[in-house]
Amino acid sequence: MLVKDVMTRHPIMVPPEMSAAEAQHIMTENLVRHLPVVGDGKKLVGLVTNQCFAMKPDTMISLSVWEITRYLSNLKVQKIMLSVKEGKVYTINFGKTVEQAARIMTEHKIGCLPVVDDDGVVVGILSEIDLLRSLQEMLGLPTKGVRVTMRMPNKKGQFAALTGALAQNDLGVMGIGSFPTPRQPGYYDIVVKIPEVSIEQVRDILSQVPEQEIVDIHEE
Amino acid sequence: MTRTNGKVPGGPVLSVEDLAVAYKIRGGEIEAVQDVTFDIQRGEAHGIVGESGCGKSTVTWAILNFLGANGYVKRGGIKFLGQELVGRSGEELRRLRGDQIAMVYQDPMQALNPSMRLGDQMKEVLTVHRGLSDKEAEKRCISMLERVYMPDAANVMHRFPHQISGGQQQRVVIAMALLNNPALLIMDEPTTALDVTVEAAVLDLIAELRRDFDTGILFISHNLGVVARVCNKVGVMYAGEMVEVATTEDIYKNPQHPYTQGLIRCVPKLGSDKASSMLYPIRGRVPPPNNRPPGCVYGPRCDYFQDRCREERPELRKLPNGVEVRCHFAEKIDPSKWQPSEDILPPKVRQNGDKEEYIIEVKDLKKYYEVQGSSLKDVFGMSEPRYVKAVENATFNVPKGKTLGIVGESGCGKSTLIKTIIGLEDSTSGDAEFLGLDITGDLTTRTEQLIQELQMVFQNPDSTMNPSYTVGQQIGRPMLRFGTVPKGEVRNEVIKLLNLMRLGANYYDRLPRQLSGGEKQRVGIARALASRPDLVLCDEPVSALDVSVQAAVLNLLLEVQAEYGTTMIFIAHDLSVVRFFSDYVAVMYLGQIMEIGPADAIYALPYHPYTEALLSAVPIPDPSAKQKRIRLEGTVPSAISPPQGCRFNTRCPRRQLLPDGGKICETETPPWQEDERGHRIFCHIPRETLLTFEPVIQTKERAV
Repeated sequence: MLVKDVMTRHPIMVPPEMSAAEAQHIMTENLVRHLPVVGDGKKLVGLVTNQCFAMKPDTMISLSVWEITRYLSNLKVQKIMLSVKEGKVYTINFGKTVEQAARIMTEHKIGCLPVVDDDGVVVGILSEIDLLRSLQEMLGLPTKGVRVTMRMPNKKGQFAALTGALAQNDLGVMGIGSFPTPRQPGYYDIVVKIPEVSIEQVRDILSQVPEQEIVDIHEE
Repeated sequence: MTRTNGKVPGGPVLSVEDLAVAYKIRGGEIEAVQDVTFDIQRGEAHGIVGESGCGKSTVTWAILNFLGANGYVKRGGIKFLGQELVGRSGEELRRLRGDQIAMVYQDPMQALNPSMRLGDQMKEVLTVHRGLSDKEAEKRCISMLERVYMPDAANVMHRFPHQISGGQQQRVVIAMALLNNPALLIMDEPTTALDVTVEAAVLDLIAELRRDFDTGILFISHNLGVVARVCNKVGVMYAGEMVEVATTEDIYKNPQHPYTQGLIRCVPKLGSDKASSMLYPIRGRVPPPNNRPPGCVYGPRCDYFQDRCREERPELRKLPNGVEVRCHFAEKIDPSKWQPSEDILPPKVRQNGDKEEYIIEVKDLKKYYEVQGSSLKDVFGMSEPRYVKAVENATFNVPKGKTLGIVGESGCGKSTLIKTIIGLEDSTSGDAEFLGLDITGDLTTRTEQLIQELQMVFQNPDSTMNPSYTVGQQIGRPMLRFGTVPKGEVRNEVIKLLNLMRLGANYYDRLPRQLSGGEKQRVGIARALASRPDLVLCDEPVSALDVSVQAAVLNLLLEVQAEYGTTMIFIAHDLSVVRFFSDYVAVMYLGQIMEIGPADAIYALPYHPYTEALLSAVPIPDPSAKQKRIRLEGTVPSAISPPQGCRFNTRCPRRQLLPDGGKICETETPPWQEDERGHRIFCHIPRETLLTFEPVIQTKERAV
């Protein structure tokens, strides 16, 4: 799964000369939280997020109604946006993997990454929502089936034993994921989604696999 | 966002709401489009269908702010990626739309600059919008051309538009449109000017690109079959209003609006036989925008018209099944109980069981055109003459009162064949006898009587009528010329013909410019019939007409045939029309008849491999029909040096069935394989093998 498979293509983009009020309007009206700011040829120059609109009052001379209105009506996107030039925008290339994108986002605690091609042209946007959607798909949520978590020691041949047991019984896999068992070093948990089968059947088959145990089993 | 359900991230790519477009004219203004509402999501293809003059193109022009000096958006809004387009200045629009909306028009030749090399035109898109270097742009263009399956892409970059075929031109235009990765692609009849086989390939391409680029597509077409193949949502427009919006399946399986039902009834369906597949034209025609009826605009043409329709204009409302329809009685109408009314009832198919007498017999007819070379030898006339072999060994005959349909891609020699018969061209060799008279010679040697018996209906009624003669004069002229009618009775005779054409006596003094396309074609038919010919040659008589008009004209031709017992040779590129209309069908490829026989036999197993490919390319107005996917590779070879052996061997997808990968196809001319019904196939593959193919089209009812 690469960024280009998960991202939202053709995001709403705004030019840097647009007024900040209008950008704010576009964001609320279209229920989006991030607006890539692009110059000529869709080249990324900045990013507008909700935080950009939280302005400090000391940027204004006084807080009179007139002053605030004047200030807001002259305010342009380029003034409030996070600027690429200043290095405030994290981006990702469309050919990178989803986990790399997730890592950048968690590391910097940010909600979205503009996706660019090799020339810095915006081709899409990747938000937390897109990543969460890909997580669902990876674990096979849209289709009905049995979701089982197997705990196995970190040894050669364990995964093969699991898939072998499934294959012997003509079972397919809709989604799969694995992670190191929390607080139990040397063990891995593997989540498998199996369609068109009953819980009992899965339990019967997988409880036979040596050295492994069923930690959790669900019908979803 | 009133219409977004919130599930789609970022909302629709394009959202049109209550759009009304008006044109200012002398003494007021007319609303060409009223209350049109629809959304296009990312990666969705939204079709708009309707007869010409319904305002389909006006909608796209409004999106692009291309309405001309006198047009403007009167009401409503157009939102592109969440931002309003209406009411902005040109510069703002340019920046807003930037390079995110691309267009593909009907005629690729008009979208390309004839004086620039294709590569330079394509590169411009990238160097201007993206500021890429020339070299980088070239690289991108070539990879995009490869993406649209352009053979020999690097080479095509150096050619001029006229040096590549129509299908390839359209591919260049599509590639150009996609270079900037647009969010919205507007396609206005993109395949109408193309051959079926090319059309099928282009449609496949569009569907694939939509998936890969997640581009929203607004697809405009009058062809319901094409829309069924590419779109997942369809809006039906009538007289400037959206009358029905639904998913493609719903539109075809369960049309709710009487107009949609009518449109579907006028499309010839491949798969049913001639006797049962009647076409029911919609009576009347689209009202002009300044003269729309009160209440429901479709009222005057509707079979379910009631008082409420006149008094109250229906709103576009959502039915429980999600279909949006603009009709008061949509739930109460059951299209399966529909009965055609008296005036649109198609004529009975004639049954003449008497013995078959051939009116025209053609044997080994050849037509070669000499090509002038440009070398020094050619100038002095010393080189071997070279020929375009336009028609090769055509052999067929047509019984009296029957119709022979000729189908094939453009450039296959269909028109040359009938031009040779009517005498516009003389033949190179072979025999052709019409009523026992030899017609192979020069036109000047023909007797007047022979000329009178052979008449022609042309494709484009506009260019075949004298604009300064009235309808009556045009139809009366052949009568006077051939003396078939005494001078004093010409007027009465013309009016009789006009009545037969359902035009009426008041058309006698009209000029061609006062007629609609369908009416002009009827006058064209009336003129061809004026001298009471025995054989009428029709060269694509309905391909320039709307579906509903097409149905009316086809029914009219059938009626004429029933009335006068006229024999017809009917050329068309639309295989479903030919099926509907003809008793016999000939399939031509590169000047050679590949398969000929009774219509039922052509559309059923066994097929010639070429016929099979043609049938698999026909767009079917039924999204549930299963169609085998065969796409011919490459282009039609040059007729100057056609391939040795079988002319189809360079593109035949079936030659692998023969030993040695079909070596025999390259060396030997195939034999004619004939069955007892007179169905002949020009192929090396034995009939028994051809019979084992799967049928091309499988609909719910029966297989073809």
